[in-house]
Amino acid sequence: MSSDRSLARRLCLLLALTALTLSAQAADADRDPIVVQDPHYGEVLFYFYQEDYFPAIVRLLAAKQQQQLDNHPDEAELLLGGMYLSYGHHLEAAEIFERLLADNVAPDIRDRTWFFLAKIWYQRGYLDKSQEALGKIKRELPRNLQREALMLEAQILIDEGNYDAAIARLQNWKGKTEWASYAKFNIGVALVRLGRVDEAARLLDDLGDLDPFNEELTSLRDKANLALGYALLQDGQPRAAKAPLQRIRLEGPFSNKALLGVGWADAETEDYERALAPWMELQGRDLLDSAVQESMLAIPYAMAKLDSISQAADHYLNAIEAFHEETNRLDRTIQHIESGRFFDNFLDDDPLDSTGWYWRLEELPEGPEARYLFHLLATHAFQEGLKNYRDLSYLYRNLDNWQRNVDVYNNMLDTRKEAYATRLPRVEDALARADLDDMVSRKLEFDSTLNNIEESNDWLALANRTEFDMWGEITGLENAPALRADIPEAEEVRDKIRLLKGVLQWELERDFKDRLWRIRRNLHQTGEALVETQRSRRQIDESMRTEPLRFEEISGRVYDLAPRIEGTKMKVEDALSKQRVFLQSIAVGELQAQKQRLDIYTVQARFALAAIYDIAATVGHASE
Amino acid sequence: MDADSAMAKAMSAEAAESESREQFRSLDKDVQTLKKEVLDLNRDLFLLEEELLFPANSQVAFFISMDVGEYFELDSVNIKIDGKEVANYLYTLREADALVRGGVHRVHMANLKTGDHELIAIFTGKGPHVRDYRRGATMTFDKGIGAKYLELEITDRVRKQQPEFVIKEWE
Repeated sequence: MSSDRSLARRLCLLLALTALTLSAQAADADRDPIVVQDPHYGEVLFYFYQEDYFPAIVRLLAAKQQQQLDNHPDEAELLLGGMYLSYGHHLEAAEIFERLLADNVAPDIRDRTWFFLAKIWYQRGYLDKSQEALGKIKRELPRNLQREALMLEAQILIDEGNYDAAIARLQNWKGKTEWASYAKFNIGVALVRLGRVDEAARLLDDLGDLDPFNEELTSLRDKANLALGYALLQDGQPRAAKAPLQRIRLEGPFSNKALLGVGWADAETEDYERALAPWMELQGRDLLDSAVQESMLAIPYAMAKLDSISQAADHYLNAIEAFHEETNRLDRTIQHIESGRFFDNFLDDDPLDSTGWYWRLEELPEGPEARYLFHLLATHAFQEGLKNYRDLSYLYRNLDNWQRNVDVYNNMLDTRKEAYATRLPRVEDALARADLDDMVSRKLEFDSTLNNIEESNDWLALANRTEFDMWGEITGLENAPALRADIPEAEEVRDKIRLLKGVLQWELERDFKDRLWRIRRNLHQTGEALVETQRSRRQIDESMRTEPLRFEEISGRVYDLAPRIEGTKMKVEDALSKQRVFLQSIAVGELQAQKQRLDIYTVQARFALAAIYDIAATVGHASE
Repeated sequence: MDADSAMAKAMSAEAAESESREQFRSLDKDVQTLKKEVLDLNRDLFLLEEELLFPANSQVAFFISMDVGEYFELDSVNIKIDGKEVANYLYTLREADALVRGGVHRVHMANLKTGDHELIAIFTGKGPHVRDYRRGATMTFDKGIGAKYLELEITDRVRKQQPEFVIKEWE
């Protein structure tokens, strides 16, 4: 395909690729634009730009197999890698990048691609691969991504329990950016886990006292204060723990735990009256929160310490009742999740018209389960598992559609075979009647006759029927015996005949060239038509030879593909069910943990209540 | 107070997380393999469908493309071959945007006999100053043996500040 006639539109593939790999700012407008030179490549881009990765990949693979991308071999391969990545087909994407990124791509694009691959692998739990990809980044990452890459590296080390190495990675981080704050927090948490509470306290205290300029930092500050407060409580420093816990906002994701902690800090110093204030504040809050649940036991505990035994008993009874109701609700939810249809509800509002890495469930479907599972949405395992579940559902529907189409193709092939078999005898008959070779030799004979006529200037040969008859009549009269008489009347007729013959000859000679040209032209056209007919004949012969083979070949392919579709569909179904079980286990596991906690609290409440009753009974006996 | 057991809880949570990660990874690998299998199958089915419905000898494909697109916002394309309407495609915003960014849309596939054919394409959309705009382009093309690709291209004629509609043959 010539580039002159190519689609002369410009695009920057690498720019598109970097945009695709999650980062709009990664775009680089300085790169040489690429001219689309193969329509099939342009067609792939049409779907790619709409983020319909599945059809785009299929078209690219098909065009590649048909060698229709000869003008874009490298870009097509890189685009395929990028689309695999967007489609969540990360292992295949990595293989392509391994092959192509070494030489063919600018270092900054290469580094960015490895970075995003590392990020995706981390989210999918491939920590080793993520670390490997980070190791491939050389030096060209933009500063913001550099920071994120370092954080990612440290996070992997923390996840692996390698806290010292994580601390070492982040320790030299300077500056007051958000990233520096996150780094400080991560080091603090790592230090707490190592039992180095004093060192952690310095870092987390700094962070907990910062003046945040946005919601993200405010939230991080709360998180740092909470981590510090609880680390100090655990370390037996309740007085020191109170300050950070009190710095946490009263309304926020960490406020319940903070209120509970403040109460415990006071209770640890035996100031139960003070402890009751934050705990009572928790009473009106959502019982799903473990801090609220714990406060229901903490309140009567403090009351008992303050000798308000009867009030304490009432609170314990309330708590037992509330925990019982909550446990029942949890049981019903677990039952519903285990029934199987639950996860399909997640996809019900979703048209499933495409798949992709960027899809993310933002809201749980409405129902009693939603309130229990809300925080699962924030976890990688649940989100990525749901993504796979959704992709598998898409694959299943795709195969289902193909299965129906293949049935139609089978019918279509049968109909065509039948039509071919009906038409074939008619065509064969017509072909047998048309003797093309005879037509060709007759045409050649005509050519030769015409050449002779021209050479001999045989103008009479080109006379039409009337002229020819007239000529015959004239020459017949010329030879009539009556006209040979030597009388004036005969002489007069002879003159007239000579005149007529002369006029006719003059006219025939005058028209000779023109007639010769016309006949030649007609003969030439006949020759062309004969050549065309011969070509058609060859085509028909070829079709008659190849069509049955083509039918056979296509039938064979349809025949082979049908069981392939069926087999793959079964595998997808199996994977769907495993994925469903996995998601169920996460969700049910989460609910079981909540239930277990409620069970423990219930037992604690019953014990405490029994103890109170014992005390009351003892006091009663004593007073009697 | 549960603070003392927090460390133990954290450790067991980490162990559970690691186990769940492993389980996810194993399932994810299966999903990856299946994705590849289904993509390959789709490729084969796509090619089969094309060969079956549009054999190379009679295949003609009509592509729509845009270069720049400053003076024209495409709404729809209507295609007639030899006086018969064969396609009337209405573009979504997403599709029109994909065209502007360099995508090429295969708007129609047909089976045609060898010889001359007439193509008429009518483009509807918004022209300069966001006015309704409707223009046609026509050409006669010769269908030989083998697949034929025709491109209906919308370009900007900067000097006249007008769109231009051209039909080209790919060689």
